[in-house]
Amino acid sequence: MKRETDYGHPIKPVYTPKDIENLEYERDLGDPGSYPYTRGYHPEGYRGRVWTRRMTAGLGSSRQTNEVLKRYRDMGQKGGMLVICDRTNAMPIDPDHPIGRREVGLLGWPGASLLEFEELMDEIPLTGQSITLLGSCAMSAVRLAYIVALAEKRGVDLSEVHGSVTEYPFCNNFGQTDAQPLDLNLKLWLDSSEYIIRNKIRMRSGILSQHFQESGGNNAQALAVEMAMLRELCSLLVHERGLDFDDVALLPYELVSIGSRFFEEIAKIRALRRMWAKMAREEFKAKKDKSCHLLIAVHTSGRTMTYQQPLNNIARSAIQTLAGAVAGCTAIDNACLDNAHAEPSPLAARMSLNTQHIVSDETGVTDVVDPLAGSYFVEYLTNKVEEEAYKIWSKIEELGGMIAAIEKGYIQEMLTESAQKKHREVERGERLIVGVNELVIPPEEDFQIPIQELKSGDSEGIAQRMEEWKKTRDLPLIEAKMAQLYSDAKKGESYNLMPSIVDAVKAYATAAEIIGVIRKARGLSYDPLETIECPFALK
Amino acid sequence: MGTNHRIKVLISVIGLDGHSTGAEVVSRILMDAGMEVVYLGIYQTPEMIVHAAIQEGVDVIGISSHASNYDQILELLRLLKKNNLDDTCVICGGTIPKHTAQELKDRGVSEIFPPQSTSESIVNFIVSHVKRAELSSAS
Repeated sequence: MKRETDYGHPIKPVYTPKDIENLEYERDLGDPGSYPYTRGYHPEGYRGRVWTRRMTAGLGSSRQTNEVLKRYRDMGQKGGMLVICDRTNAMPIDPDHPIGRREVGLLGWPGASLLEFEELMDEIPLTGQSITLLGSCAMSAVRLAYIVALAEKRGVDLSEVHGSVTEYPFCNNFGQTDAQPLDLNLKLWLDSSEYIIRNKIRMRSGILSQHFQESGGNNAQALAVEMAMLRELCSLLVHERGLDFDDVALLPYELVSIGSRFFEEIAKIRALRRMWAKMAREEFKAKKDKSCHLLIAVHTSGRTMTYQQPLNNIARSAIQTLAGAVAGCTAIDNACLDNAHAEPSPLAARMSLNTQHIVSDETGVTDVVDPLAGSYFVEYLTNKVEEEAYKIWSKIEELGGMIAAIEKGYIQEMLTESAQKKHREVERGERLIVGVNELVIPPEEDFQIPIQELKSGDSEGIAQRMEEWKKTRDLPLIEAKMAQLYSDAKKGESYNLMPSIVDAVKAYATAAEIIGVIRKARGLSYDPLETIECPFALK
Repeated sequence: MGTNHRIKVLISVIGLDGHSTGAEVVSRILMDAGMEVVYLGIYQTPEMIVHAAIQEGVDVIGISSHASNYDQILELLRLLKKNNLDDTCVICGGTIPKHTAQELKDRGVSEIFPPQSTSESIVNFIVSHVKRAELSSAS
């Protein structure tokens, strides 16, 4: 068995004061609530507020997902809701698209229009809990428009809604794919971000290392990629959109993937807090302390959830949840025991939420802030992962930053190599996984778990409903909104399309219609899959 | 490898599934084992996969599946039959629940490899399948 970190650094049998002899408490750690925030942002830690314990929902129709959300509330999920969008939504294509109709609703919530957002949120408050919608970058602006439109319809003060519905423009390279080119994704992300900041909406935008890491990247790479993304995207908002960094700093949130390498995962999050704080203060000249706080949420790793002996995943999830709690974070959603089989069953979802409550309410982890600070090993690992991350990050900057490094294929190559390495390590028995390459049992003796699945024909049902409903809309109004959007989309990269997207969403234009019209204005095909024609007469 | 020609395998992700890591890892494993791999990437419709299989004359089609979109795999099987390519071996890998795996096998998929399958098991299956196919076409 290999005794080295997941990024290949050898681990010694014991750590002593010598391993952290250069560590200076005030400079490198500081008390919780003090710069450089290695130990966290709040002097009282979880005593003030326990992390948001939440579960992903999203399967089938909007009505079905709404039922699941209400069930999660009954299970104790009150602080925040988390919905993952389906594959048609990610692209986006509409559920009645010839290719979309074969798989709409299979992997998440379809969410193709304001109607579906209204159904999703039926009897669920927009305020008093965080609203998080996970999905592709391309749909960020449209998801934000759903929030704006529904808040207006319900007479809710938009400034009271919080959460996150927008995501960073690089996820196409890390498995969370849409069907849009990088320049369009970047524009839509900048537009939605600028709109959030200028209107002082309390919504965050996900700039996430989770997708990178779940695709096979290691801890040091994940930190480097996260910092490179944050640096480039914040710079664009400051320099190209003319925003103040102290306002921009309230936008990003990071979703960290936490795997089973307990101490390394904790070190990674501690290092990330320090790296962000330093960049905020030294490079971006942050004036406010709050700008040095990067909001960090945790996703326990779906990648580590095995297909074999799925009940073992409960133990893995508990260890990872504890790591997230010890590291200190704002919210956790944990992967479910059936992650390698299907979307969460009610049993698996309850187990996941219960796991979080066992960790928060039974272990004592919420009593003390950053309990592993001062551990020779954990402080050494925090320094080491930071050092390795800085090396990779400098390489990315040498190539011209995150966008340039992606265009040159550097990031993709690094990820592919790391994924291959992880696979080889398991195959050679250098890394042990119970039930996979150790303590294996014959498949016929494997544990039986309930499997949550959609019935064949459910996708077609959603598609047909969409097809019929589309005809009942105020079509002349939609035509007018589309004409406006088309003309705005020709006004240049920095002309913000959010107002016309919000208008189109309020008129019940669909996601694919909105993105399709913007595509046309940019000389692209209306349909990213080049199967259907644009239904609007645009001039 | 004991077969008369270099084995040619088409690897693809199907439909709207965007999870490409598994397909990329398996492509590398097969290339390292000396096979020729035609990697189509993501957003491939069943029609596109069949078209590529005909153009490239592959021995095996491997579909990586992490999006529960099994109807797309069934559509692929239907199209292969329609194009008289029933004898092309189709294998799948990924997060496919057991009873769905059985259903896909009943409909013509030769083998399903769950997550964490070994390189050896995948390579051996393909080699022995192609050998058998050669023997039966020679006899």
